Amino acid sequence: MSSELPYDPEIPDLREEDPADLDADEIPGTGGVSGSGDAAVPGLSDDCSDPALCAYTEYVEGEEVEDMPATGEGAEGIEADVWDALYGVEDPEMPVSIVDLGLIYGVEVSERVDEGHHAEVLMTLTYSGCPARDMLTDEVERAVAGVEGIESVDLRLVWSPEWSIEMVTEQGKADLNDFGLSV
Amino acid sequence: MASAEQLSGPEALSEDEREAVETLLFRLADDEFVLAERYTEWQVRAPTLESDLALANIAQDELGHARLWYDLLQDFGPDEPDLIWERPPEEWHHSTLTELPFEEGDWADPILRSYLYDVAEELRLEALADSSYARIRDRVGKIRGEEDYHREHAENWLERLCDDEEGRRRVQQVLDRLFPYALTLFAPTDEDVEDRIDELGLRTETLADMREEWLDTVVPYLEGLGLDVDADADLPDEIGRDASHTDDWDDLWDEFTNTYRELGRSEATRIMKDPDEAE
Repeated sequence: MSSELPYDPEIPDLREEDPADLDADEIPGTGGVSGSGDAAVPGLSDDCSDPALCAYTEYVEGEEVEDMPATGEGAEGIEADVWDALYGVEDPEMPVSIVDLGLIYGVEVSERVDEGHHAEVLMTLTYSGCPARDMLTDEVERAVAGVEGIESVDLRLVWSPEWSIEMVTEQGKADLNDFGLSV
Repeated sequence: MASAEQLSGPEALSEDEREAVETLLFRLADDEFVLAERYTEWQVRAPTLESDLALANIAQDELGHARLWYDLLQDFGPDEPDLIWERPPEEWHHSTLTELPFEEGDWADPILRSYLYDVAEELRLEALADSSYARIRDRVGKIRGEEDYHREHAENWLERLCDDEEGRRRVQQVLDRLFPYALTLFAPTDEDVEDRIDELGLRTETLADMREEWLDTVVPYLEGLGLDVDADADLPDEIGRDASHTDDWDDLWDEFTNTYRELGRSEATRIMKDPDEAE
C-alpha cells in the first residue's frame, strides 16, 4: 500500500496549486467552520505590530505560511473528531503530538453519496530523509480511519510551505521543553 | 528566457511534456540516489567520529531528496521497484561523477566530490525554484533548506586538507581525476529533450548557463586553495546522462540490488506486518 494515496478526481488536488495562490478558504482545515471566511483562522490577522510575533514570516519565504500549520481550531462535528484523532498521534522520536509539531497542514471532511464521510489530510514531515515516513503516515491513516463515521482517508504529503521550528504550536513548544528540548 | 505557462498535473501532460518532466526527474533522482550509495561506503571509515556522522547524515539527506524526486516519477505509474530495484543499470541517467568508486582510503575524494556536486546542486535547485511544474517547484524549498550545510562541510574540510603540502597534493590528485567527470553534471541527457525542458519552463536556466556559473564558482575557489584546475578538460568517455557508464557502475548496481534479488523480491516488502491486517 502506498502512503500517498492515488488522486481522487472528486477533490481538487491542492498539490498542483501554489499555496501562495490559494485563498484561506481553499486550504482545508485552515478556514475553521466552512464558509466562515478567514475570521476563524489563527494568525491571519494583519495586526503584527510586534515584530517578535511575526518572526516566522522571515524564517520561511512568502506570506502564505501565516495560516500554517492548521490546528483544527474552530472545527466542528466529525471534522473536530478527526482533529482529536490527529492530536493523539505522536512524533516517533518525541512525545509531542504531530498537530502541535505543526506537521498537519489541513483537514477536510466531505460527505459522499452512499459512501459516508471521506477525510482528506494534508501533512508534511520535518525532514525529507525521515526514516519513519511510512510508519508515521500509516499511523495517521489508521488514526483517522478509526474515527466514527469516517469511511475513507486520503493522506497527502506536501512539502510546501517548508516546515520549520516556527510551525510548532505553543503547546508543542511546552511539550518539547518538558522533553528537554529548548525551542 | 520567457517565463512559460504553468504546466498541468501529471495526468494532463502531453506526451512531449511528460517526456521532458521524466527526463528532468531522472537526472535529479538518479544523481542523489547514486551519490548517497557511494557516500555510505564511508560510514565508520571517515577520519573522525564527527565527520563520520556528517557524511552519513549527508547521505541520508540525499536519499531523502532522491525519494522526493522518485515520488514524482511514481505519479506516472511506475512503482519503487520499477524505478530503483528492477531498473536495468543501462537505463540510469546520473552523472558519472556520482558513480566512481573511491580511491582506497582517500578522504580527499568524498570531500572534493561533495564540493563539486553541491555547488552544482545549488545552481540546479535555484533553476527549479520557479519551475512551471508545480509538483517540482513545491519540493525545492524543502531540499534547498537541507542542502545548505553540505557545501559548508565540504569547504571546511577542503580548506584544512589544502593547508599543508602533502594534503594539497592529495586533493590535487583527486581533482585531476574527478574534474572531467564533474563536467558531466551539465551534459545533456538528450539535446532535444533538454531544449524542451527549457522551453517548457521546467527549469529556468539552461545546462550551458549553469555550467558557466559553476565554473565561475569552483575554479577561483579551488585555485585560491593552491590547486590547479584544468577548466577546459574534455568530458570523459562515460557521461552517465546519456546512459553510458563505467564498469564500476555495474558493480555498484549489483551490490545495492543484491539483497532485493537474493530474496526473490518482486516488490519493496515491508519488514513488519501492519498490525491491523495481521490475523
